[in-house]
Amino acid sequence: MPAVQDTIDRVRKIDVDQYKYGFQTEIAVDKAPKGLSEDIIRFISAKKDEPSWMLEWRLEAYRRWLTLDEPTWARVHYPKIDFQDIYFYAAPKSTPGPTSLSDVDPELLKVYEKLGIPLREQEILAGVQKTDASELEEVSDNVYKSGRVAVDAVFDSVSVVTTFKKELAQAGVIFCSISEAIREHPELVKKYLGSVVPTSDNYYATLNSAVFTDGSFVFVPKGVRCPMELSTYFRMNEKNTGQFERTLIIAEEGAYVSYLEGCTAPQRDENQLHAAVVELVALDDAEIKYSTVQNWYPGDAEGKGGIYNFVTKRGDCRGDRSKISWTQVETGSAITWKYPSCILRGDDSSGEFYSIAVSNGYQQVDSGTKMIHLGKNTSSRIISKGIAAGFSQNTYRGQVSAHRKATNARNFTNCDSLLIGDQCGAHTVPYMEAKNSTAQFEHEATTSKISEDQKFYVMQRGIPEEEAIALIVNGFVKDVIQQLPMEFAVEAQKLIGISLEGSVG
Amino acid sequence: MNMQLQPQRTSAETALIDAFGERLSLLPGDGAVMLKRDDAIEAIKHGLPTRRIESWHYTDLRRLLTAVPDFDPAAATKAIAPIVEGSAILAILNGVSSTKMPTIEGLSVQRLSEKLTDGSIAPGLDPYGSDDAIGALNTAFVADGYFIDIADGAELEKPIELQNLQAGGQTHVRLAVRVGTGAKASVVERQTGEGGGLVSSVSQLVLGEGAEVTWLIVQEQPETATHLAQFKAHLGKNSKLTVFFMNAGGKLVRQEIVVRTTGEGADFTLRGINLLAGDTHTDVTMVLDHAVPHTTSTEVIRNVVTGKARGVFQGRINVHQYAQKTNAKMACNTLLLSDDGEFSTKPELEIFADDVICGHGATVTEIDHDHLFYLMARGVDEKTARGLLVKAFVAEVIEELDDEMIVEALEARLDDWFVAHG
Repeated sequence: MPAVQDTIDRVRKIDVDQYKYGFQTEIAVDKAPKGLSEDIIRFISAKKDEPSWMLEWRLEAYRRWLTLDEPTWARVHYPKIDFQDIYFYAAPKSTPGPTSLSDVDPELLKVYEKLGIPLREQEILAGVQKTDASELEEVSDNVYKSGRVAVDAVFDSVSVVTTFKKELAQAGVIFCSISEAIREHPELVKKYLGSVVPTSDNYYATLNSAVFTDGSFVFVPKGVRCPMELSTYFRMNEKNTGQFERTLIIAEEGAYVSYLEGCTAPQRDENQLHAAVVELVALDDAEIKYSTVQNWYPGDAEGKGGIYNFVTKRGDCRGDRSKISWTQVETGSAITWKYPSCILRGDDSSGEFYSIAVSNGYQQVDSGTKMIHLGKNTSSRIISKGIAAGFSQNTYRGQVSAHRKATNARNFTNCDSLLIGDQCGAHTVPYMEAKNSTAQFEHEATTSKISEDQKFYVMQRGIPEEEAIALIVNGFVKDVIQQLPMEFAVEAQKLIGISLEGSVG
Repeated sequence: MNMQLQPQRTSAETALIDAFGERLSLLPGDGAVMLKRDDAIEAIKHGLPTRRIESWHYTDLRRLLTAVPDFDPAAATKAIAPIVEGSAILAILNGVSSTKMPTIEGLSVQRLSEKLTDGSIAPGLDPYGSDDAIGALNTAFVADGYFIDIADGAELEKPIELQNLQAGGQTHVRLAVRVGTGAKASVVERQTGEGGGLVSSVSQLVLGEGAEVTWLIVQEQPETATHLAQFKAHLGKNSKLTVFFMNAGGKLVRQEIVVRTTGEGADFTLRGINLLAGDTHTDVTMVLDHAVPHTTSTEVIRNVVTGKARGVFQGRINVHQYAQKTNAKMACNTLLLSDDGEFSTKPELEIFADDVICGHGATVTEIDHDHLFYLMARGVDEKTARGLLVKAFVAEVIEELDDEMIVEALEARLDDWFVAHG
């Protein structure tokens, strides 16, 4: 098991403050004044060169937002957020829409290099692998080796660069930042934006609709299988900023796309807000696979600082036989509030949700999914693995519902929790609602610690305790890891090892 | 959020508040009890729970409780035959307990109205949380019931049957039972009647060390009645409690089961069946606290949904931080037999201790076609085959009970329901 050994080695190498992406980069930035008002929204919209309909859309969302109350039902606790104390727009100065990589601030490129994100497509094509001689080498190695990945890099409020655009365009795939899409493809944006997560959806989604600054846009036309993995890498750098990205992915009839998302932020004492909205639309026979490795700064060992991650992700299986699959590995953020969902509207459509949520220190995770069965013969599958350690709280909250007309709806849900230490909590809150007699729902959940028997069995074979626990934990999450694209699976496995550092053994 | 305007009161809320003003002078209780009543009606003045209150998510009481009947002192009813022959009967007829007490060794019974008048029951009247609407409603209005004490070491041969029989109007009843060290008893709580009344009924049980109790709740209200019930229990060291409930009636029913293990080695078993028919709403909500180490529990709930019935099961198992070595398992299985019916379930685990084994399972499905085929291939017609399968599905839970007399009695109730509902 080289991966396991690797995890152990990594855990050993890194000391208590294990967050390795915590560096900050000095980059000249262009910021909007602090706070939120209609003027700020006009400012953002103007910065982005947006058409007037977009501005109207934002303002409408903002007015709506003013009437809403912050939700309190999740099992997370945090001091009230002062929305007037946040910068809603921050962009690296040198990027008025770079056309090629050479236009991008070299400092910025260094950041992504440091993070192991391959932006230099030329080099990848040439098979040259140049990275810093850091620990990250291996991670990026894997990314390089496994083939080509098109990346959209989002730094604070703007997208700095998107790679492989030309090659994707040849296949008919549009992959660009959402701001660019609003300018270049307004008809598509107009048609789909807000059609899955309406502006009035919930407090944070409404806020996002008003102030979103960037994100990715993917359009895969009819019958096209996207020739490579698409990926967005989010980085929050500026102090006191909030990141509000908006991602919209559309797969037309028979199209297929696999999309990966990664994120990190510098280490800081104060909390930062991240409120994203992701909308997926799958038409007839289309398939979207969405994978996330979420590694925002989780706060220090005392629970100081960290990102508040309040995200609305929803996929709409609009067409018959369409499929949307969410896979997430959640290891970062001080607070996670996230429920990637599927609306199974088309007949014979299916939704999947695979999740690993690891919490340590004082992290609070309240995550899960919603599977809304509306069409006939729809099926969904939920596999959730929660691992709580330290003083963390880890909640699975999920909803499965079959509506009156959803004949033959099928669901299987399995959520297991593992507790490491007696100061943490693991909670399971599934909602099952059946309104159709042909629905078949199954749900099972377990919570336990690593059994002494299992540990004994492994240790008896000469494997030290720490390694034995890592082996068992990796076995525990295997069902989900298998769902990740290869390059992410390796990274995810390492992340889990690192996140549990200090609690294992 | 406090700035929001108080929504307008519903007619049911207004009726309850008005009724309290009218009844106040008739309600028994000393100063302490009356203070509790005032607090309780204050809670109701803030409004009945809506679906925004998490524990009432599937039973929006504010919307569902459309009418509150007046008190009807003239309504009369009389005690019925017990489900197990030879049981000691303690009947409450339309909210009023009997003055005639059974003479059984080890059993002492008092009317609850007396305990309210002398105030000795006051500490037990507090609702268990801000969302405890049934507790508040009952505390505000409770006028009678029984206070039962089972002496240390007493072993009661025959069950005690507590009959709460309503004949319309409002009835608010409380049953308080203390079971002494090492005592053994079976209690049947019958909830039925003839009227379209509003019933609130709270049962409180305290189990002493090593006590063993089987408690049956048989709810067969008419399809016009609103039945809001609560069963609360504290389980002492090495005590063993088995609760069985059967919901087979009522228009709007909520049965709460709130159990807390307070002594190590305590064991709790819950078995229940919901037989749902007509245009009704039935909610069973369980909150189980494993508060000390080394306690165990298992819960199995079976539901049959027909007609336009809506069913709900919410079950939350809380394992406290020091409650190591807890072993808790919960299952909820539903047969949804009609397209107009619906069932919602929310089995929750809330766990703060690491050395535990907890699990829950929930299923919703229709009758297994293979099973049906198996029977029909043997010449059983479809209707009979379906009937057999549905009955077997719920009878399985009843058969797990130890006491043969009780099993037979419950199966008879089950047969009655199947006869009445095809």
